[in-house]
Amino acid sequence: MDPYDVEGGAINVRFLEADSVRGKFLIQNFDLATANSLRRVMLSEVPTMAIDVVEVQNNTSVLADEFICHRLGLIPLNSKNVDDVLYSRDCECDGYCDQCSVILTLDAKCTGDEVMKVYARDLVVSEGRPNDEVGTPVITDPDGLGSVIVKLRKGQAVKMKCIAKKGIAKEHAKWAPSAAIGFEYDPNNKLRHLDYWYEEDAKKEWPIDEENSNIDGLPQDGEPFDFDAVPNRFFFDVETVGGLEPDQIVLQGIKVLQQKLASVIQELTGAEDTNMDGFGGGQSPQMNGGQGYGAPDPGYTTPYGNASVWGGAGGATPFGATPYGGSGNPW
Amino acid sequence: MNAPDRFELFILGDDEKKVEWKDETRIPNTATFIFNKEDHTLGNLLSVRLHKYDYVTFSAYRVPHPLFAKFEMRVSTDGTVTPKDAIVRACRDVVQDLEILSRSFTTEWLGKRIVHEGEEERLRREREV
Repeated sequence: MDPYDVEGGAINVRFLEADSVRGKFLIQNFDLATANSLRRVMLSEVPTMAIDVVEVQNNTSVLADEFICHRLGLIPLNSKNVDDVLYSRDCECDGYCDQCSVILTLDAKCTGDEVMKVYARDLVVSEGRPNDEVGTPVITDPDGLGSVIVKLRKGQAVKMKCIAKKGIAKEHAKWAPSAAIGFEYDPNNKLRHLDYWYEEDAKKEWPIDEENSNIDGLPQDGEPFDFDAVPNRFFFDVETVGGLEPDQIVLQGIKVLQQKLASVIQELTGAEDTNMDGFGGGQSPQMNGGQGYGAPDPGYTTPYGNASVWGGAGGATPFGATPYGGSGNPW
Repeated sequence: MNAPDRFELFILGDDEKKVEWKDETRIPNTATFIFNKEDHTLGNLLSVRLHKYDYVTFSAYRVPHPLFAKFEMRVSTDGTVTPKDAIVRACRDVVQDLEILSRSFTTEWLGKRIVHEGEEERLRREREV
């Protein structure tokens, strides 16, 4: 079977919605175990940036130091091209350095009579970070304020040095790239994996997701139960917290899962086998971040013009330049 | 306090290997694999994937203790392929599937974004008129 022939049962993706915060799509002709692993990896193993260490130099606010530190940790930071950042634990430096961290400073004092709010925009990113985007606080509100960190009264001040590091959500949920991932298959329960509880009639008492059930095909009246059927269409709804674009969460998730499998292959085939990357002679995803194993068809830059269409020079992704991800968010 | 470091969930210890395996002596063509610092993400993926191959007669995994990040997987084959090779093949196939998925995703996402952009542009123009 031609793996790219969509009609012939090849794995394919169909989008229902796509914007800067969420991607709703379905994967067809896929299998449940792999789809679920992808979901789990996107939830807990896609690397992002978050404030990890805080040096409190001054805090006369009403909140305790650790309270504010916790709030700082939860502020979403831009994680585009987070591959440029090393894990602190793998870095040769002592503690942290420019290769493995981004330093943000917070220095605020209330001098007026009004209560002052300190926002994420008040975090100042230091020079020397691994790339121009990584570590900037995510600010999406129209006023450009970002999340509130603390409120100050006259005379109160906070001064803190925050060290943002790369990490994954398995270690702490602050590194989670997505706010939520919707995952569903067989919305009409044709496979009978669910046994709905009901008082009189399950059909009347349970809500239905109209959109998904129509896509999946409504069951015919009197349709016999196919006990050999397996799920093959999976509905995903990936919503970002802002650090990574929804497509990047999915693509990074795929990459992390591939690397996980590659490490198993490497371990089982042993070091003497040079073809241990899982691509049967291709290149490993770790070695060149995706470029090697078929940068997905350069066609996606040409037919639509190039990066300029989406404003700004596309930031590099594991697959080369994103055609639509400039610095300024065009949407 | 005495809580274990959370990175112990995914960083291999100094003397740990990702996968250790031992042949089962009492059953032919059977081996038990211990995957360190892995969880259901990989355990379920591999053990279910192995069911798809005709030469695999048995595959299942268990997590001996929920506080320790490891799982054991037992694989039996019909003898034409060793359990180890069966896992390697399964891994390669999944990587391949993910590759196809990734390409399809990239193309479709771009297409959808263009439609979305066009739609917003149209709405903006309508508002101006």
